[in-house]
Amino acid sequence: MSIERATGDELERPSADSGNVAEKRGGSTRFFNPRRIDIYLQIAFLIAVFAIWECSAIYFGTDFWTSRPSAIAQELVNWANSGLLWTDLKLTLMEAGIGFVIGSALGGLVGFVLGWIRRLGDFFEPFILSIYTLPKIALAPLFVLWFGIGAINKIMFSAMLVFFMVFFTTFQGTRQVDRELVENARLLGASNFGIWTKIAIPYSAVWVFTGIRIGLPYSLIGAIVGEFVAAEAGVGFRIKESTAFFNTAGVFAGLIVLMAISLVLLGALKLIERRALRWQVHNSMDGVVP
Amino acid sequence: MPDAAQRSRDRTAPMIEFKGTRVRFGSLDAIGPVSLSVKRGEFLAVIGPSGCGKSTLLNLVAGTLKPAGGEVLYRGAPVDGVNREIGYITQKNHCLPWRTVEGNIRLPLEFRGYPNGEIASRVTSVLQQVGLAGFEKSYPRQLSGGMLQRVSIARTLAYAPDTYLMDEPFGSLDAQLRLRMHEEIMRLWHQTGSTFVFVTHDLHEAITLADRVVVISRRPGRIKLVVDIDLPRPRDVIDLQSDPRFGAYFKQLWDALDVH
Ligand SMILES: Nc1ncnc2c1ncn2[C@@H]1O[C@H](COP(=O)(O)OP(=O)(O)O)[C@@H](O)[C@H]1O
Ligand SMILES: [Mg+2]
Repeated sequence: MSIERATGDELERPSADSGNVAEKRGGSTRFFNPRRIDIYLQIAFLIAVFAIWECSAIYFGTDFWTSRPSAIAQELVNWANSGLLWTDLKLTLMEAGIGFVIGSALGGLVGFVLGWIRRLGDFFEPFILSIYTLPKIALAPLFVLWFGIGAINKIMFSAMLVFFMVFFTTFQGTRQVDRELVENARLLGASNFGIWTKIAIPYSAVWVFTGIRIGLPYSLIGAIVGEFVAAEAGVGFRIKESTAFFNTAGVFAGLIVLMAISLVLLGALKLIERRALRWQVHNSMDGVVP
Repeated sequence: MPDAAQRSRDRTAPMIEFKGTRVRFGSLDAIGPVSLSVKRGEFLAVIGPSGCGKSTLLNLVAGTLKPAGGEVLYRGAPVDGVNREIGYITQKNHCLPWRTVEGNIRLPLEFRGYPNGEIASRVTSVLQQVGLAGFEKSYPRQLSGGMLQRVSIARTLAYAPDTYLMDEPFGSLDAQLRLRMHEEIMRLWHQTGSTFVFVTHDLHEAITLADRVVVISRRPGRIKLVVDIDLPRPRDVIDLQSDPRFGAYFKQLWDALDVH
């Protein structure tokens, strides 16, 4: 192989990649393409599951344990008609949302500072490690003592869970930084200010985003667990209340609402990934996201 | 005492001087004493067994390491703190993954407070020089090792340092690409007139590129041999290897390296 060939191959690589993507996109407009068939099969599978579920309730009387789709749908309609669905949903989302924002901001900030200021990080590391494996859910009763049974309790609990997720990820990610990267920046002419703004903050931002991605579901977990422990409203409270009345359909209705929230969160995650982490989203993602 | 401007015009004044320089890491004598002077505009190659202190020598010039004894002078003055007049290129390219090729090349110019117009024109010009035009908006993960090494060279080229320190920069590239990069490095050296100190463990590379090759001994690293490479320039990376003098230099350096 000649020298020119080697370099030519090397230069062609990125354009070859984009060529592949174009091919995939072009392919998806055809009617009988494998991905479209997959979607039909997925819908068919879902319908089959609901049908089996309904039939098992009719023929085997499993209503008590797993209810049935028609009853759950009825329960959802009743819940919506009573107006409680919206107030419950709003309350739970508000608790999770505020908790998420507080937890992410504090977790990112503390992780960033302890991650970059080595001596401070070394000092706190043993304490941080001792909290790391503690199941933080176990703190829920304590939060009732501290913050009562209102929304503040759930916000704080959700913020705490998100905080630790974002904090651990940012702290550990930041400490992994190759010190040579910083030294190299100094050789390139960076002042201390330049290091903070052009190296440290963007570097850690990646880890903050990664932490947020991991932490986002925990904001919802925090709100729901908080409502399980002690509450007067909210989706988690409704699930617990239905259980107390052996209302299995009500429990499943609550779960379906949670599932819907999760799907919305998943969309938000995809958006974060696409916008903030564009430079590290793999090429293969182009084929995955419809 | 000649003033700085006069001294910098004088091509015979040394750019870098080691004077009885020693380095210790704890109880380990890493190098020394080393005395060596690098002329302005010279292309010097440094070879030696792994761990003999080649990178350490470059770090002394870059100011990221202080000598335990003796002196390291840059342009006649002791190196004090990070030396921003040099460009340092290593096997690791240190590209920031969140910045595009263009953004990475802008970095030193932003650090050095160049105005925006100047940054843009310099970036365009160095992209041309290293053959990366058209890849401005690519992210590092989209590029191959050879191209990343070019980004790292372009980034250094952009602020036109007086001295290029290169520490096995092409160590991770395949043989063909290396030859190609040798051509480019020689072209850059001719164009910029800068001083190059090039560390390598590849004898071919050293003889092809350098005016002078320094052989460092096993730890503690000392200068074992200095060979002037008296091959005509411009050099052709392929033809050169069949030159009988090339073989003679190779033999002489190989014996000095004492690989056994
Ligand atoms: N920061 C350091 N701390 C301790 N020892 C070091 C350090 N840097 C280099 N050394 C040691 O000094 C010697 C020379 O290292 P180096 O200059 O990297 O060698 P080379 O580049 O020739 O392979 C090696 O034995 C290495 O282990
Ligand atoms: Mg080395």
